[in-house]
Amino acid sequence: MSSSIETFRQEARAWLAANVPTEPPPEDGPASREFTLAWQRRQAQGGWAGINWPKELGGRGLSVMEQIVWFEEYARAGAPTPLNATFVGLNHAGPTLYACGTEAQKAEHLPKILGGETIWCQGFSEPGSGSDLGSLKTRGEVQGDQIVINGQKTWSSFADIADVQELLIRTDPTARTSQALSWVICPMDTPGITVRPIRTMAGVLKYCEVFYDDVRIPLENCVGGIGNGWATAMSTLSFERGTAALALLIGVTLHVEKLLADCPADRPQMRARLARLRAEGASIRAMNYRVALDSENSVPDATGSMVRLAFAEFSQRVSAAAIDLYGLDAPETIGAHGWAHDYLDAFSETIAGGAAEIQRNIIGERVLGLPKGPK
Amino acid sequence: MKYELTDDQASVLAGLDQLLAGVDTDPPIEPVVFEYAAALDQTLAESGFLDIAREEGFSPLDAALIVERLARLPQVVEAAASAIVAPALGVPAGTRPVALLSGPLTKAARYLPMAQVLLADRGDHALAIKVEPDNVETVETLFAYPYGRLKRVEGLEQTRIDDVATLRRRWRIALAAEAAGCMASAIDTILEHVKTRQAFGQPLGAFQAIQHRLAMAAETAESTKYLAFRAAWSDSESDAAIAAGFAQTRTAQLAYDLHQFAGAMSLTLEFPLHLWTYRLRALAGELGGGSQQARAAALATWGDAA
Repeated sequence: MSSSIETFRQEARAWLAANVPTEPPPEDGPASREFTLAWQRRQAQGGWAGINWPKELGGRGLSVMEQIVWFEEYARAGAPTPLNATFVGLNHAGPTLYACGTEAQKAEHLPKILGGETIWCQGFSEPGSGSDLGSLKTRGEVQGDQIVINGQKTWSSFADIADVQELLIRTDPTARTSQALSWVICPMDTPGITVRPIRTMAGVLKYCEVFYDDVRIPLENCVGGIGNGWATAMSTLSFERGTAALALLIGVTLHVEKLLADCPADRPQMRARLARLRAEGASIRAMNYRVALDSENSVPDATGSMVRLAFAEFSQRVSAAAIDLYGLDAPETIGAHGWAHDYLDAFSETIAGGAAEIQRNIIGERVLGLPKGPK
Repeated sequence: MKYELTDDQASVLAGLDQLLAGVDTDPPIEPVVFEYAAALDQTLAESGFLDIAREEGFSPLDAALIVERLARLPQVVEAAASAIVAPALGVPAGTRPVALLSGPLTKAARYLPMAQVLLADRGDHALAIKVEPDNVETVETLFAYPYGRLKRVEGLEQTRIDDVATLRRRWRIALAAEAAGCMASAIDTILEHVKTRQAFGQPLGAFQAIQHRLAMAAETAESTKYLAFRAAWSDSESDAAIAAGFAQTRTAQLAYDLHQFAGAMSLTLEFPLHLWTYRLRALAGELGGGSQQARAAALATWGDAA
């Protein structure tokens, strides 16, 4: 590792040691918004937001390697989970705008995302369209210089506290999916939007249904061009499948180290299980670093699905092992931030952002080159 | 063991179904920590179904049939320890609900907040401890069952039971029967979903990737059920450990697959799958988990050479 990278690491470590919040982050509602934005603002003010984002957009303009080092130090410091209300903005909408947006869209939104001014949510899935995303029905009708939106989205994390939504709508009901959809920026305070939070089995109000009743947004809010939403959305999901979860992954591998340290010597089977998880975590981490380094300055390719799938199932196995290690009633298990919550919450890892079955389809068809199955 | 119900068993289950037909079995949605189904508990206690293993001409197998059926209900009610474990340890009929505990006496136990008696595995012996309600602290977990722990362990009114092996054996049988019922209901929930939910122009259940995994889930549930019934019939150490261990080690894959098939809907309290996910996870952690049962099965089969 070069001396400049090592210097960067020491600076990051020192800053995190002095600035990581000590109080546990609220999981939902307005308190979650306040906490998450404040933490993002603190990182931005310290010069630690958007490590590899361009300088003109508020980032540091450094390489992916520095970004990886930041993720490593972030996890090591026990900083708030990156899978919070800023996740969609920083890891979906931001990179998508950077890759597909106009200069005006970038200038308007990217500094606010990095600077902790706005929270984004995603509006892709619908009650009848999850894995079969191309069948979505929420209609966007172009009327002059506006798009009029009617329909319903669901599983929109943090929509109840978000300022903006990355919204996928059907603007041409007669065209094939590849030309029928549009990816638009939808301000959540636009008249006609109703949000209903849904409580999950992990006990939190995180997902939301969003209803659109003659919602009018400017035509200029379309990203990537009218009718080009499918390609834009695939870019968005590629970022999730590539590098977005790297900080999370590093955090989970560190959790495995803690579990190993806490495992008594008289539980050899548990120690063996944790050792296998340690090896699994190391392998996924290596694969993720490769994908991150290969996709510097570009949209990650389909190999990102291998990382996404492996990490999702790995995180579920770690949560299950933690409960078996500590017991159902242990302080480490129960409570708002315990392993029981993480175990139940982790079921979403293999569903959100493209279910495990979709990731396997992608790996089979695009990585291995297998013939497409019936759909 | 014959795999056909006897006339007596069939009529017992028909009677139980008739009793349950009058019970509200709509799944609860809120709050996350579930309330104990006290009314159902009382109905069951008065009906005598939970005392069947104490009756002349009936056995633990008849009790396991009842426990498996009751574990399919969305309501939370203690039946397994009352029907399968307590009768073998000299606990008087009607002294219930029954809580079971292994490890330190201050560890949390299922159903302790409403239990009259706590049967505790103390390693080389067992204890039957009279539960004083003011000595129980409720433990809130996300695993659907009411849990509690003893506030103090001094001055307990307790009876020593030398036959700790029977406590463990019957607990394993009870656990397997409960798991079988939970698995059956979880699969029923998903079958309805995959038959009606459309994706890519056809029902989800038409995709082979889903059919194959659902078939494996059904095999897990059926195997768990018959292993539980076999263990209840033979009342043997090895059968009991195999039944409980099989259920515990298969739970993770079964829960994973079923949640995948219902997608994000399955993560909410508005879809009942979570009821079974919570319960199966709690059952999977009892008695040291699946690896401990595997060890117990090996010891029971091959002795110290295992």
